[in-house]
Amino acid sequence: MPDMMRWRMLRAAIAAALFLVSGPAMAHRLKLFTSVENGIISGYGFFIGGGRATAASIIFRNSGGIELHRMTVDTKGEFRWKPPRPQDVKVILNAGDGHATETIIAAQRLAASDGPAGGVRHPAQGAASPATGISAKAPAAISQEQQKQIAALIEKQVDEAVARQIRPLLEAYARAEGRVRFNDIMGGIGMLVGLAGIALWAMGRRRKNRSDAT
Amino acid sequence: LAHIPDGVLSVPVLATGGVMAVAGIGFAVRRLEERDIPRVAILSAAFFALSLVAIPAGPATIHLLLGGLMGLILGPSVFLAVFAALLLQSVMFGFGGLTTLGVNTFNIAVPGWLCGLLLRPAIASADTGKAAMLAGIGSALAVLATGGLVALALYWSSPDYAVSAKIMSATYLPLAIMEGLVAGFCVSFVKRVKPELLHLRTGDA
Repeated sequence: MPDMMRWRMLRAAIAAALFLVSGPAMAHRLKLFTSVENGIISGYGFFIGGGRATAASIIFRNSGGIELHRMTVDTKGEFRWKPPRPQDVKVILNAGDGHATETIIAAQRLAASDGPAGGVRHPAQGAASPATGISAKAPAAISQEQQKQIAALIEKQVDEAVARQIRPLLEAYARAEGRVRFNDIMGGIGMLVGLAGIALWAMGRRRKNRSDAT
Repeated sequence: LAHIPDGVLSVPVLATGGVMAVAGIGFAVRRLEERDIPRVAILSAAFFALSLVAIPAGPATIHLLLGGLMGLILGPSVFLAVFAALLLQSVMFGFGGLTTLGVNTFNIAVPGWLCGLLLRPAIASADTGKAAMLAGIGSALAVLATGGLVALALYWSSPDYAVSAKIMSATYLPLAIMEGLVAGFCVSFVKRVKPELLHLRTGDA
């Protein structure tokens, strides 16, 4: 009988250990993933270890706390919004069941992807007449303006391409960041045991002091 | 959902929760005896680790709370166990807020404490099967009570949460069943191996 009991205990301990190691995910902590492409803020809220928050509302506020826009996420839990001008935007996601999270998007990020290149409409306009024949001087004089515009255009394109390329990476990072690791859990347990040790020591000391006094 | 993050509850709710939790912790500390400490630490560690493990349930995930079980074995010290574990979870993982620490402690500890207060005498004198059943039912009810308190805290902060509070109560039901099974199993085990864990101390509540 004791053997049976021991076996049961062992089995329970193994099951518990496997349970802990197999998938320690942060129990439904809500996280917000945002990305900025072309001046448009997009993203979604998700529960670590779970799915996306699909019934959530999104509030955009400026740095002064004034509400800029309010919307609800679509059926896939995603949202998209383009602020009227680049500025610091605080994105607040409220899942409505007591879960809420927020993140701040710096004006710089919005400006970078919606920068001067946004105004590039006629890169060829202003180019001097091509028929002047002074091929050595004219292009240099012309391209000063053009070069700026082309550079801005390239920068915008690169920004967009990079944003597109790193988005999956950022998503993966956001997911990985919130996961609880086995070592963290063991650290927490160790800390609790340490606290118990401190409490025992303090109580023992108090008792000793009391008995010394009497 | 018992780990309410920062920025959701209104200030009066946070303050009330904080005051109640401090009262509970103060009461527990005064009742705490040296020999209880390891027990508190072990159950606090169990709560700390198990409530980090997400179990998928429909679209959301749930996790064990162990409030009832802690209340049965620890009595009022459940406040200490819950507070210490929640504090660590909040600081280490951002799981549950720091400002909501009081409310969260109250929501989990009070139903557990009441479960222990009401059921310990019966469980102490019952046979193993009956004790397990009582513990299971008590723990399941403690989970539902925690769910109710969370919903209440949300509703009191903003009536906008009323609808979602209903949804939340629905997710607490499978958890209550699971928690009841776990607590029942644990109590039947303790009852066979170390029944004095569930016995009443003189003047204990």
